[in-house]
Amino acid sequence: MEQTAAFEDDRLKLALNQALTGDAQAFAELVRQHQGMVFSIAYHFLQDRSLAEDLAQEVFLELFQSIDRIQSPAHLTYWLRKVTSNRCIDQGRKKQRRREMALEEAPEPVTASGQTDPMLLERLQQSLATLPEKQRLVVIMRFQEGLGPAEIAEVLEMPVNTVKSTLHRSLADLRKGLTRKIREVRYAFF
Amino acid sequence: MHFSEDDLREALKRKDPGEGFTQRVMVRVNQSKAEDTTQPAIKKTNGKFLSWWMQRPVWAVAVVAMLLLAFGVGGYQYSEYRHAEENRIARQKQQQLQQEAERARDQAIMALEIARAKMNHVLQHAQLQAEPNDKIRRQRL
Repeated sequence: MEQTAAFEDDRLKLALNQALTGDAQAFAELVRQHQGMVFSIAYHFLQDRSLAEDLAQEVFLELFQSIDRIQSPAHLTYWLRKVTSNRCIDQGRKKQRRREMALEEAPEPVTASGQTDPMLLERLQQSLATLPEKQRLVVIMRFQEGLGPAEIAEVLEMPVNTVKSTLHRSLADLRKGLTRKIREVRYAFF
Repeated sequence: MHFSEDDLREALKRKDPGEGFTQRVMVRVNQSKAEDTTQPAIKKTNGKFLSWWMQRPVWAVAVVAMLLLAFGVGGYQYSEYRHAEENRIARQKQQQLQQEAERARDQAIMALEIARAKMNHVLQHAQLQAEPNDKIRRQRL
């Protein structure tokens, strides 16, 4: 497992070095390696597939223009998270997010875990969309990217204690939102 | 309804942007490259220059501080120089005025000397003319 991680890291280092010399194939490799992360942050934040794809493309375009600033694969990941977060906030401010989603834009059913209720996951995603921007990003960074409070604080340029309290408040809000949704569903049925 | 952190992790699992995402990014990258080559060279140089400084904020602050210091010292020295120059000119003017005053005083003294000498001369003449008249008057009496 460690060997695989080390191999991946070496491969990224090589791709980064080659991309720094202007190698388009190496840059494409960097995109391939990080597209899931960038797209997912944008998608979970915006809850809109086409907007998320557009945002992710712009992030990679910005990366191409400032690739000479990137010092290491770890720095690349940090940079991508930071730029994606900033762009998500900008996008959120620019456009009033559409509440109605087209069928193909609806969150895909999660198939990895057989134990988790797909309806619960959908409700969670919907509740997440109702959180304020910073709270949403903190939750995404914590549970999608698996970052600790200190790392989140660095990416989002917030004090660590604020991150902790925001995370705590966000989870409470998500629970409240979820309970409200369940009540709404019950009233609709009975 | 309760949910665990694992549920949240599951809900926020990374998603794939789908087939062809990398190609679409590379198309945009190539478009941006093409746009870059058509941009004027000066604009590009300015951009590079600015980004070079943006990457080194400490250097930028140091250079700005040095420039401010240099301007400050230069300005101070210039004001000192101007002050000294004004003093020198004022002193020169004062000396000139003093010299002129001394010259005027000397001329006035000389004029008074001449006037005194002339008055003495006139007085002597008057006394000489008055003396024979006195003798004649005494003889008549």
